[in-house]
Amino acid sequence: MKSTQLLIRTGLIGAILAITEPALATQAHSAPEGLYAHQLAHIFFIISMGVLTYWLRERKLVQAVGWRHIQYSALFFILWNVDAFFVHLVEEQLALIDIQRVGLWEINITSTANSPVLLWLYYAAKLDHLLCVPALLFLFFGLRRLLKDAETQTTRTVPP
Amino acid sequence: MIVNSLPIWIIDMVGSILMIIFSFLCLNLIGALRNRDKSNVIWTYLFWVCLGLAGFAVSRSAGHILKQILVLSGNENLWSFIRPYSGAINSLMFVFVASVTLFFERIWKIYQQISRDKQALQGVRDELLFLNQNLESLVAERTKELALSEHNYRRIFEVSRDMILVTRPDGTIINMNPAGYDILGLEKDDDFPSRKNFADFFVHAAEWQAVKRALERYAFVANAEVSFKHKADHQIRVLVSASRDVGFSDKEDTIQFFVRDIEQRRQIEEQIAQADKLASIGQLSAGIAHEINNPLGVILGYTQLLIRHEAADTEKYNDLKTIEKHVRNCKSIVEDLLNFARSSKPKEDVVRMDKALDDVIHFIQQHAGLDNIEVKRQYLPSVPEMVLDEKKIKQVFMNLLMNAKHAIGEKGTLTISTDFNPVEGQVIVRVADTGHGIEERNLARIFDPFFTTKPTGEGTGLGLSVSYGIIKNHGGDILVESKVGQGSIFTIVLPLITANPRVNHAKIHSYH
Repeated sequence: MKSTQLLIRTGLIGAILAITEPALATQAHSAPEGLYAHQLAHIFFIISMGVLTYWLRERKLVQAVGWRHIQYSALFFILWNVDAFFVHLVEEQLALIDIQRVGLWEINITSTANSPVLLWLYYAAKLDHLLCVPALLFLFFGLRRLLKDAETQTTRTVPP
Repeated sequence: MIVNSLPIWIIDMVGSILMIIFSFLCLNLIGALRNRDKSNVIWTYLFWVCLGLAGFAVSRSAGHILKQILVLSGNENLWSFIRPYSGAINSLMFVFVASVTLFFERIWKIYQQISRDKQALQGVRDELLFLNQNLESLVAERTKELALSEHNYRRIFEVSRDMILVTRPDGTIINMNPAGYDILGLEKDDDFPSRKNFADFFVHAAEWQAVKRALERYAFVANAEVSFKHKADHQIRVLVSASRDVGFSDKEDTIQFFVRDIEQRRQIEEQIAQADKLASIGQLSAGIAHEINNPLGVILGYTQLLIRHEAADTEKYNDLKTIEKHVRNCKSIVEDLLNFARSSKPKEDVVRMDKALDDVIHFIQQHAGLDNIEVKRQYLPSVPEMVLDEKKIKQVFMNLLMNAKHAIGEKGTLTISTDFNPVEGQVIVRVADTGHGIEERNLARIFDPFFTTKPTGEGTGLGLSVSYGIIKNHGGDILVESKVGQGSIFTIVLPLITANPRVNHAKIHSYH
């Protein structure tokens, strides 16, 4: 009885494989997918840091200096993600900005939108380490404070 | 717009290096935190966040540094080849860090729960540790407390003046305190109480049934007055309180009884009532006697005056003599009533009690005869001389001995004894006979004036009343115990008043 069922099932699977077109097996991924995935990752990062900030405040953990610094770190990471998202958007996704190296330390930035503000915004946004380095710096301060608190804490109590 | 790219280059390079440095510093800190408390899920969470950020920093910064180097060195094609890998790894690191970060709320809740459980466990652990370290002393202390408690309750059980009794629900006695033995007149060595049932001590079975019913219905009984059988073949009145002990242990239910002997209290109450009654009668008698005494004196005086002027053996003379005789009888009764009423102050003669008793016994032997009656004299030589109204005390003895002789009838024993209690300052005289005794219903009335059980004409019913009045007038007391068919004991208790005032003084002080 069992061998009969096995035979029927094997036959059905074989028939399906025989009549299926090979092109339907996988989906093709063209070039923009990498950029879109990267941009979505930035959005996910922003949401994630936003959620972390919300719970830190909701649980009133920010009353402690260490957690408050970690909150600042999350906020800087949000700003950095916005900045990076903007740079990718104007340079690669919308192709509003074009950069050409004209010398060893000189670059020519041009915009198809013909907007000087956009050019200067882009130039400023390129300095994104001014946001992500402070983010890690605040994380460092926060963790250092938490370690200090843990060292001085003699009696552990249930957190709020 | 042509701009200087140096600031971008410097910030990019320096920033990339700083990112790697700080991300690893963060990893180092969180590593230190984890080492302090490896079970802390928050530190674990932050460790994974920092690990993700370090991966992100390395992948990004390495990519940026490599890009700058390759572009500046003119190897842009190589960078174009590496760039997609760098960007993909960078994107994966974003997602990794963001994903881990999203678990913060869940991790925090777990941390709170673990912290609470840990704290509770810590408390239990501390308690267990304390108990473990101090178990021996705690057990010793508890044992001491229990022993003290047991001693206290045992002491209450042992020294209680009331009976404390524990029985099974059917009344079978389990345990009884020493006071119980005393109340029931039992000896500790008696074959008791294991085979006895509490119901056996009730005079009336109905009273036991009533107590039992109340216990079944209300589980307690408060101050039920019942009669108990005393071993000495008489009844005693007691107050019974009881409560059922239900469900304390797996053992069967028990009943705890508390029994208070109120026989003595009842007797005292009866004595007080008797004394009150006699005092009232005495007051009434004194009033009547005073009113009658004067007219009787007038009648007697005039009768004697008439007799003096009348020749003897005449009918009128004989009539007057009859009047005189009856008036004298009346005066005698009135005097007895006044004696009962204690209206006159007793004289102060120095009397030896045994001598006064001997005089009276001798008088009775001479005039009334005590031939078939064995007279036992048990005088205590140490009884001191007392200040008493000798004539009246002898009258009391006369009344008691004549009553005893009458009660004994043809043959029996008359025991007269004296005793002295120096502590209380009392002299006691007992007149015991083996006569027919006094019925219980008459005991309360024997000191009432004109109460007599003798046939009409044989007694006035004033003898014991007068005796009572005389003894009370001396500050004493007269008591009676009697059993029908076995005899009676009259006990006179007199306060010791001697001719030596220092002795009296000492006695008075001893009273206070």
